[in-house]
Amino acid sequence: MMDMKATNIPISWRLLDAAEALASRLWPTSMRRFTGWLLLSPAFLLVFVLVAGLVLIAGYSLHELDTSTYRLKADYTLENYADIVAKPTYWKYIGRSLLAALIVTVVTVTLAFPYAYVMVRTRSPLLRKLLLISLFLPFFIGQVVRAYGWLILLGNQGLLNVAFGWIGLGPFNMIANYGAVIVGLVQFMLPFAALLLAPAIVAIHEEMELASESLGANWLRTLWHVTLPMAKPGLIAASVVVFTLTLTDFAMPEILGGGTTDFIANGIYDAFFQLSDKGFGSALSIILVALGSLLVALIFALAGAGTLSFIAEKRK
Amino acid sequence: MSGGRSKAIVLGGIVLFNIVCLALPTIIVLVTSFTAGNIIRFPPEGLSLRWYQTLLEKTAYQEAFLRTLYVALICTAVSIPAGTLAAIAMARYRLRFLGGLQVYFLLPFTIPLIVAGLGMMEMLISIRMFGQLWPVGIAACIINLPFMIWAVAASVNGLDPDLENAAANLGAPPLQTFLTVTLPAVMPGVITGALLMFVLAFNEFIVSLLLTNARIVTLPVLIYNSIRSVITPDLAAVSVVYILVAAVAIWLLDKLVGLDIFLRSK
Repeated sequence: MMDMKATNIPISWRLLDAAEALASRLWPTSMRRFTGWLLLSPAFLLVFVLVAGLVLIAGYSLHELDTSTYRLKADYTLENYADIVAKPTYWKYIGRSLLAALIVTVVTVTLAFPYAYVMVRTRSPLLRKLLLISLFLPFFIGQVVRAYGWLILLGNQGLLNVAFGWIGLGPFNMIANYGAVIVGLVQFMLPFAALLLAPAIVAIHEEMELASESLGANWLRTLWHVTLPMAKPGLIAASVVVFTLTLTDFAMPEILGGGTTDFIANGIYDAFFQLSDKGFGSALSIILVALGSLLVALIFALAGAGTLSFIAEKRK
Repeated sequence: MSGGRSKAIVLGGIVLFNIVCLALPTIIVLVTSFTAGNIIRFPPEGLSLRWYQTLLEKTAYQEAFLRTLYVALICTAVSIPAGTLAAIAMARYRLRFLGGLQVYFLLPFTIPLIVAGLGMMEMLISIRMFGQLWPVGIAACIINLPFMIWAVAASVNGLDPDLENAAANLGAPPLQTFLTVTLPAVMPGVITGALLMFVLAFNEFIVSLLLTNARIVTLPVLIYNSIRSVITPDLAAVSVVYILVAAVAIWLLDKLVGLDIFLRSK
């Protein structure tokens, strides 16, 4: 009765046993407390490439360009940083990027919040699906193609100008200016903002809003005193992401700005590939990193990581 | 309720504006791609499929498409194990410096893409590997890795640890517990993350611009270069490829895990 042969055991069991034995030999029980770190290591190494790249760039930023050889000089200097500070052009880039980041964040979050709210609260599964699809379709289409769409829409012979022509207006110059870049960026950021806001709104029980309304508050007061404060984790996450992505954007100012409204990222690109001065470009890069990190660190320190956290609230 | 109506009107108005704003560039590209004329004009001078035909004739677009596909597949293949294991580690294991690790794994978002791209470009040049295609896929994986970790972390956080404990209690060794309990439970997160990573890599622009040269240019970079010279309708036809890929990805996401997965509370 007990002479069950080894061959009767399913092959999958034997494979699993073999794998298990191999695993326990490669990673004995005594190593168990490091298992978490083992699992983490591939992702850790991947992200480390970014750190190494940043260190490399920081190193370059401390060397001046030798204009006779077009290589960086060997001696360390802060001359590149001094150069940037002394040139009003770069102050303009920095100011323009910061202002755009502020405008785009405010406009995008204002537009995305009602969208995410309706998407979460609607009783109609069909409307919810429609809203999700209209969010994902542009999100999955990418910045260059969307910028191209805006070019066709806003261009001098574009759809909007043709429409204006029919009612006897225009043509207006709607491309290659700050406004076009802002419009393109807001549209680009909307899906990010709405998708980061949605989980925070899901977390608010609808009873809270109903309680507020049954106590006599109208919907605007409920929104202001109940929903918005409770959605704070989502508002923080959405604002941080939209702000930093706008601050550091390259494609929209390049394509829709037509070279007239360069951001910091465009300045960095030009320093590397037009001036061929990677020392100067690296210094500008480090300034951009410092600016972005400082602002993000400030918001996180004041308000926490919001829905950007990888770890569930309850574990903290 | 008197407040109900004004709320519905205001919310409905904003939502409608959003939908139009989100859809407009996509629709306009679609319409333009079917024009019969040589230039982009409204209304279009008749309908035709001639710009799709030029796509079939121009090998530059086809090669760029295949390269982009290759990049996106490498990105997905690398990010599935790396992101899944990292998410499980951070949600399940007692790690020291967890707060620091969180900040570390958000670095791909806090380091500006242009700087990340330049850093990787300079590294590839210094180890004489610039001009190969596979590092572009790895780079796309690195800069989007937080998406993968988030997607899986959401699933891990929703899994009751007692299920894994029960498996262990019934005698399952660690690997078996992982393969038969943990992994199936986090599968929706893995699928969501993998689809996101594929699509994001397929669309990746600025880092590709920095890491490719004329020989290995990817599709977004090719479109960008063409926009800078002459805007012809064949670009619209290429862009429709992106619309199709996006539509397929959304359909898959909805079929396999449901789009509602993004509406879970945290």
